[in-house]
Amino acid sequence: MASITLKNIKKTYDAKHTVIENLNLEIKDKEFMILVGPSGCGKSTTLRMIAGLEEISGGELLIGDRVVNDVAPKDRDIAMVFQSYALYPHMSVYKNMAFALKRKHEKQEEIDRKVHAAAKVLELEEYLNRKPRALSGGQRQRVALGRAMVRQPSVFLLDEPLSNLDAKLRAEMRTQLKKLHQDLQTTFVYVTHDQTEAMTMADRIVVMKDGVIQQVDTPQNLYNHPSNQFVAGFIGTPQMNFIDAKLAAESGRYFVCFDAYRIPLPDRMVKARDLADYTGQTVVLGVRPEDFHGEAEYRLKTQRNLIHLPVDQAEMMGAEIYLYGEIGKTPVVAKIPSAEPVAAGDTAALALDMQAAHLFDKRTGDAITD
Amino acid sequence: MHKNLKRYFPVFALPTCAAFAMAFLIPFVMGIYLSFTKFTTVTNAQWVGVQNYITAFTADNNFINALWFTVKFTVVSVISVNVIAFFLAMLLTRPMKGTNLFRSVFFMPNLIGGIVLGYIWNLLINGILSYYGVDITYSAKYGFWGLVVMMNWQLIGYMMVIYIAGIQNIPGDLMEAASIDGAGPVKTLFKITIPMVMPSITICTFLTLTNSFKLFDQNLALTAGAPGRQTQMLALDIYNTFYGKIGWQGVGQAKAVVFFIIVAVIAFLQLYLTGKKEVEQ
Ligand SMILES: Nc1ncnc2c1ncn2[C@@H]1O[C@H](COP(=O)(O)OP(=O)(O)O)[C@@H](O)[C@H]1O
Ligand SMILES: [Mg+2]
Repeated sequence: MASITLKNIKKTYDAKHTVIENLNLEIKDKEFMILVGPSGCGKSTTLRMIAGLEEISGGELLIGDRVVNDVAPKDRDIAMVFQSYALYPHMSVYKNMAFALKRKHEKQEEIDRKVHAAAKVLELEEYLNRKPRALSGGQRQRVALGRAMVRQPSVFLLDEPLSNLDAKLRAEMRTQLKKLHQDLQTTFVYVTHDQTEAMTMADRIVVMKDGVIQQVDTPQNLYNHPSNQFVAGFIGTPQMNFIDAKLAAESGRYFVCFDAYRIPLPDRMVKARDLADYTGQTVVLGVRPEDFHGEAEYRLKTQRNLIHLPVDQAEMMGAEIYLYGEIGKTPVVAKIPSAEPVAAGDTAALALDMQAAHLFDKRTGDAITD
Repeated sequence: MHKNLKRYFPVFALPTCAAFAMAFLIPFVMGIYLSFTKFTTVTNAQWVGVQNYITAFTADNNFINALWFTVKFTVVSVISVNVIAFFLAMLLTRPMKGTNLFRSVFFMPNLIGGIVLGYIWNLLINGILSYYGVDITYSAKYGFWGLVVMMNWQLIGYMMVIYIAGIQNIPGDLMEAASIDGAGPVKTLFKITIPMVMPSITICTFLTLTNSFKLFDQNLALTAGAPGRQTQMLALDIYNTFYGKIGWQGVGQAKAVVFFIIVAVIAFLQLYLTGKKEVEQ
């Protein structure tokens, strides 16, 4: 049980290649923190620096209130689950799990008790004598978790632990991991490139890009209040629509104008920030696909910023239907209940929920109002 | 298609089978037959039963001595070659400059043929021993260690390359997992590295074992058995018996058969024993 603090952390592999410039992050005790971002953005590097597998080029790393920059991995009181699981192939499941305990010279009965306890939780009891090669992917994954669990570390580090599983198993393991975190009451630092994993499991999420933290917040806040266009686009599927629009002002009211549309901004946005600077300029309007509403829905609502979307393609997903089309030259996706009678070739009348929309600075990508 | 090919199977297999029979199978069977005869040529042979085998072991101590010398030499060489090769491989798989140069240099002795190697080391060793007023034939001890050093020099580079391949095949995250699990360098070596390179160890011990046991050229060139026949290994003894004494061809042949049986037994035993420890991925 420990918090983790990264202060001005820097990482360079060679003189001209800086992977992480200056990273500051505080991970609370017992928190389930997920690092998410596109591949190559430095998530694994960050995790491996916390683990002690990668040297820290600059800054300070604290676990609890101890500076651990120069502490060996085994003395950091951490456990790590690797993407490849990294099970010892020549050892049985039992020996894999007991390996770390043996190195700490724990008593045999104690080792036995801990291994069996973990095996029970992970439903591995009947496989204890098998070698890893005789296990399925899901079972290997649980052995890797078990190997970390038996050590009762203060920090769990997990690097894409679910990415080698099939979709169904992955969804199952998400729930199990979440439960495991609640049961173990320890700090989890988890790395993934999959925003769904991050959204479903995390207490808080760190969104990274090119070695720079874009935003750290709860899943809910990331979804509702992305601090920039990158975060807005990365979180949520299908991706948020970005439409270039002109911001116009008229007798104290503000409008976004694009294509043939002129849509008033809700009071929420106008009050949040002085928009005078942006008046007459191009901004980016961000609208999530689920914030378009089909006819049956919008009739029930008061707000009606109707958009007419010529549907090029309609993708049936079950409960929902995804509509693909273009507004002006901008491709747009809308996600509406599949009960709506829309097909490819139609022009769908969609209400745009401006209460949930976002405005971004065209140049910097930062949120103007969230 | 498949069936058609099957029908022509004998046509395709015949040349290889014939070559194998002519070059290996027939001489082998004839060799065994000749070991039970007194012969000068293949056609001029009289059956003498197991007399040759009895002679081989009882007429003089040469064969027993050679066998004992060979066994000692093989045990020492197998251990030293493999331990040193493994150690060098560990060193040269570390991230440091110049590893490729060292790898090439260590491998080079392998490219030199046995006889040449024997004479080179003969010169070297005698050059050093001359300071003390002796040479390599002064004592069997000199010959023995001379052979061991030469064998190490020749085989280490080759075995090292095999070990390097084995060590590089170990996934890096396995080592990282071990370091997080608290295994120090010694535990990592014995619990992770060695079990993981077991296939390489099998190959290398097999190669060093058979190479040491069958050693001939280098033995002939370095000591030629001197002093007396004290540093004579099995292959050299067989050669000397066969060509050295008139009418002893059958005895030489009998020794060769015994030699074959020993090598075969060692090979199978060794493959069986180390094979059991191998990691099947
Ligand atoms: N050992 C290394 N040497 C040089 N560059 C590396 C090394 N490991 C990772 N990198 C670089 O660091 C960046 C971040 O890598 P990584 O942390 O693995 O990304 P990810 O977010 O996908 O886990 C990448 O651009 C990668 O090429
Ligand atoms: Mg990664």
